[in-house]
Amino acid sequence: MTIEIGHFSLILASALALVSAFGGLVLWRRGERLAAILAQSALLQFLLVGIAFAALVQAFVVSDFSLALAANNSHSLKPLIYKISGVWGNHEGSLVLWILILVLFGALVAAFGRRLPDDLFNLVQGTQSLLVAAFGAFTLFTSNPFERLTQPPLEGADLNPVLQDIGLAIHPPLLYAGYVGFSICFSFAIAALVSGRIDQAWARWVRPWTMLSWIFLTLGIAMGSYWAYYELGWGGWWFWDPVENASFMPWLAGTALLHSALVMEKRNALKIWTIFLSIITFSLSLLGTFLVRSGVLTSVHTFASDPTRGLVILTMLAVLIGGAFLLFAMRASALRQGGLFAPISREGALILNNLFLATAIGAILVGTLYPLLLDALVGTSISVGAPFFDLTFGALMAPLLLVLPFGPLLPWKRADLVAAGQRLMGAAALAVFLTILISALGGISISLAPVGLLLGFWVLFGSFAEIIERARIGRIPARESVRRLMGLPRSIWATALGHMGLGLTVLGIVSVTAWETELVTTLNPGESAELAGYEITFEDFAQVPGPNYMADTGIFAVTAPGGQVAHLHAERRSYVASGMPTTEAAIETYGLSQLYLQLGEPLADTHVLRVWHKPYILLIWIGTLVMSGAGVLSLTDRRLRFGAPKQARRHSIEAAE
Amino acid sequence: MPGPKRKGINIFWFVAIALTAIACAALLYAGRGRTVNAGRRESTEKDDHFRMVLAGIEADLAAGKISPDQAEGAKGELAREILRLRAEDGDRRAGQLGLGTIAAGLAGVALLSFATYAVLGNPGMGGQPLAARPEVAAQQMNLVDAVARIEARLAREPDDLRGWTVVAPALVELGRYADAAGAYQRIIDLSGATAQLETDLAEALLLEAGGQGSETAMAHLRTAAALDGRHVQSRLYLAAELTRMGQYQEAAQFWQAALALAEGGEPWLEAARQGLAVAQNNGVDTSAEQQAEMIGAMVSSLSSRLYESGGSVEEWTQLVRSYIVLGDLSEAQLAYDRAVSAYPQAFDRGELDTIALSAGLELNGVEP
Repeated sequence: MTIEIGHFSLILASALALVSAFGGLVLWRRGERLAAILAQSALLQFLLVGIAFAALVQAFVVSDFSLALAANNSHSLKPLIYKISGVWGNHEGSLVLWILILVLFGALVAAFGRRLPDDLFNLVQGTQSLLVAAFGAFTLFTSNPFERLTQPPLEGADLNPVLQDIGLAIHPPLLYAGYVGFSICFSFAIAALVSGRIDQAWARWVRPWTMLSWIFLTLGIAMGSYWAYYELGWGGWWFWDPVENASFMPWLAGTALLHSALVMEKRNALKIWTIFLSIITFSLSLLGTFLVRSGVLTSVHTFASDPTRGLVILTMLAVLIGGAFLLFAMRASALRQGGLFAPISREGALILNNLFLATAIGAILVGTLYPLLLDALVGTSISVGAPFFDLTFGALMAPLLLVLPFGPLLPWKRADLVAAGQRLMGAAALAVFLTILISALGGISISLAPVGLLLGFWVLFGSFAEIIERARIGRIPARESVRRLMGLPRSIWATALGHMGLGLTVLGIVSVTAWETELVTTLNPGESAELAGYEITFEDFAQVPGPNYMADTGIFAVTAPGGQVAHLHAERRSYVASGMPTTEAAIETYGLSQLYLQLGEPLADTHVLRVWHKPYILLIWIGTLVMSGAGVLSLTDRRLRFGAPKQARRHSIEAAE
Repeated sequence: MPGPKRKGINIFWFVAIALTAIACAALLYAGRGRTVNAGRRESTEKDDHFRMVLAGIEADLAAGKISPDQAEGAKGELAREILRLRAEDGDRRAGQLGLGTIAAGLAGVALLSFATYAVLGNPGMGGQPLAARPEVAAQQMNLVDAVARIEARLAREPDDLRGWTVVAPALVELGRYADAAGAYQRIIDLSGATAQLETDLAEALLLEAGGQGSETAMAHLRTAAALDGRHVQSRLYLAAELTRMGQYQEAAQFWQAALALAEGGEPWLEAARQGLAVAQNNGVDTSAEQQAEMIGAMVSSLSSRLYESGGSVEEWTQLVRSYIVLGDLSEAQLAYDRAVSAYPQAFDRGELDTIALSAGLELNGVEP
């Protein structure tokens, strides 16, 4: 019966959302009472979808195969954590998770947005509810997760073995939290367009939500990348797979939005562009989630797809995104333009940032969709691969990284480029010195690697220029500098850390791309191979049963150049229920570098072994963690905090008038 | 069992209506100006924002980053923005939402929910967690332990009729025929003789004797037949035993009696007709051999086809079922193993698993 209660709850939540959407979008001028009702409705929607989701989880946990979803995607022998994560490892369940996060954000706005003006609040909640109603109806009528089987099978069909990993428990919820969080920015943008009111305070309300979503999306993408790295078994960490691109585009757009909202908040400029970016970011998020589900794109992420469903999704996307842009086209001209500023200024630098990011989005969008369109219109099948993306994206990012350290050093409105340049001399010198040192030690070769290193170090050291400048380090007594450091606003630290994280990621990418080494060989137990100074000995081979698979396990002893010995297990698993094989690579970390071992196909009397040495690869993910941490730090800044308490020092506004 | 199912439906509708009612009540409560969880106040956040911008300008001025002229200019710009927004706020007041509109909205929510659920839902369909499903419970329950537990209790309370009733067929299944016969005897002592109980007792005795009809068993069967003039099972046993013992004349009478009680379509009809023919021919069987041969040929052709070139899961199910019906459990197990390896996903084998496992076959090759 819990399943049916869950089913009813999802229906009730969707009905509530539909009526709330009508109330919020049509009657938005009707003030406080409507706002109170919409706030309550948002909380109720969250509770009801929570009940529905819990009912699905319960059915998976007790292996209730009278639920078609559980029969199709679960297995009674699966470990508990994969039974739970299996709920969203499929089309229907992932939709419910998506809606759950959507209503969670709606409820958060209801709880923390109490101080928003009523009409803005009504419009925001109305738009959120419209999204809930649309996706709720789509879920219920085309992909109902609560479908039942009157003759339940004795065992389920099991979850795709590749997905039976802790990664599935973490990656989609984080990614969805990021995608869906941008719906708040979207709703705020629609509210601004409908009410025709847009001001600096608007940017101030939107920025924490953008930041929060951006943090989740950053972590989600990083987690997905690390998961692909260790699970897919060939040691790649980014494939320019259409689905990866689909998650990367909203990230780039969200990054641009963070920066443009800053300009809007501080300078009351770039208003229309910020609204446009808010709509674009969420549209790209929708594209990211549902292009996959429509079955238009095929990749690892595509669960069973059927054409009617795809058609409905594409229609829905067209109506939602198209409607938003139509509204934008009709109302944008009526919005008041913002202030003016000189090209060399903080604003100017941020616009440059937006320009490069937007171009990068455009390039990736073209690279992802062009093959599809070509295939659909002409019937020619081409594939746009990593070289295209590496080249275009790299070419666009290099100038961005080059000017990045200047941004935080430039004052608002009008700035002196030479003065900023002087403050960055130290960082530039350090970057050049380190790059030359590394190139000299590593042997000089004609490649782009030194340029990449230079950019990475430049961003890394340059990001601290503002902090050093503000604390006057080296120019005043050390104790005074420390006092100044402590007194700096957290947003300054967040900026520096965020940019520093980017620098670390760039260094990791450059290092792995330039200096990765690979070895493919055949080995028998007892034999050894060598790669990058590491000696790899194949110690033993065994067949080990797991809970729902059989594993061929290779046990290796790896002797590092320093002499320490590690014992690694690399496996090839064959899953019982589906008969599908997976490879579990053995990964050993040495400092920031990793040795990656993959046991290949068994040959007649020997085993294929692939080994990679990946220098400083961990920097890629450490960089993203630093970036996310910087986001969290920025959220704790007094100026961005949700429902910030009133300031202790009261400056009267009248004094300014 | 309509009882529990009806009860499930009632509880479901009760919960569904309660959920809807609570949601509507919470919204009404919020709409009446009092909120359960989501209090709202007049907006002051925008004022906070401008206060902070102003503080920023003054801090910059104090730090010498901007000149007093620039600071004046920035303050003037800020003041104009505030005035403009206040003017905008002024002409934006509309009436509050009426209670009628709220009520209509809530009615819409309830109507929409129940109508949609009526189309999509399966009210009253209970959950079927794997551990609670009978075919799985039968597979997992350890019969020996369960019987031992009941027997221990019966040793203390020998008058527990229900205990004996449960344990007797289980003892037959475990092959402990003598104990089973004792249990049936105990039931008869406690509750009085019926035709069925006498037959069950005789059956246990026959099994104990390895198919050799004992005098006691025959006596019990005759009692059963005498107790109930319409009891078929006892007559069939009598007829079969008498046929085996060569007492064809009496056997023929019982075959005829059993056939006369048949309503048509019983599974034993064919066997009884053959038995009668044998008895009437004084023990010479003409048709039975041919028939057995025919069935055997059919099964073996199906089996060789499936083993050689495979087949649908339905065909495998038919083969396993045939072997089970013929009583050849080892062949059935072989066929079942082959079927499982041909269809490793249990999801595909719904009916096959149920038939095989309830006949006591084992599911090999799935669990590592």
